[in-house]
Amino acid sequence: MEIGRNEQKATAWVNEYSDILYSYVVQRVKDTHIAKDLVQETFLAAWRNIDKYNGEASVKTWLFTILKNKIIDHYRKASTRLTDELAETEADQSVFFDQSDHWDKNAYPMDWGTKSEGNVESKEFYSILAKCKSKLKEIQAAVFTLKYIEDLTSEEICKELNITPSNYWVLIHRAKIQLRSCLESNWILK
Amino acid sequence: MGINCKTAVDYISKKEEGKLSLVQQFHLWRHLAICYLCKSFEKQNKIIIDSIKIHSSTNSVNELLNKEEKQSIIKALEENI
Repeated sequence: MEIGRNEQKATAWVNEYSDILYSYVVQRVKDTHIAKDLVQETFLAAWRNIDKYNGEASVKTWLFTILKNKIIDHYRKASTRLTDELAETEADQSVFFDQSDHWDKNAYPMDWGTKSEGNVESKEFYSILAKCKSKLKEIQAAVFTLKYIEDLTSEEICKELNITPSNYWVLIHRAKIQLRSCLESNWILK
Repeated sequence: MGINCKTAVDYISKKEEGKLSLVQQFHLWRHLAICYLCKSFEKQNKIIIDSIKIHSSTNSVNELLNKEEKQSIIKALEENI
């Protein structure tokens, strides 16, 4: 009887909250497979700790708290690969600036004209932006998300990801350059 | 001495977070006055950041899991009952 009730509860939770959790996480991690895994891990963690849930917050709030911790854990794992990714992004960046560290001719920021006006809230824009974000290195995307979606300060991000301020600036600097360039190629010039 | 574009782009991020010294602010201001490329970068960067903030502040359901994906989560939960 108890098992039957629990099965019903599991089904009800997933049907009620999985889409909103997934919509939240998909904006914050690089690809949809990771997003789906994090949603599943969130439900599993909640299920295993159900006896600790005291009912003070709503189930939805409780699930979001677990999910946010899962996302931070995921970012921390990415930061352990920092050294490799910094070396790779160094190479990526050489296409944007010439030897004197001015814009390379092939990477000149173009005039976006009126294309961006009033269009940045369109579904098309967000879909391209999401694709461009998914091209960032994991740690770059993590820093960028924590900064501009979670609204953390640079100090908080360094602490969460255990990175130095100097690494932070390099990562945020490169993420912005790559995102802008990707949007220009896939949105403005299309 | 002036700054190059790579440094200017770095300063644009730091300025956004209020982390530029007065001297750096002056160097950036002087660079942007003569470099339309970095000026464009600054403007476009702001458009991107502002739009991301608008999009992420709407906590709506805009991505859906399909039936099979939901079923697979339910199955995993049931195995833990």
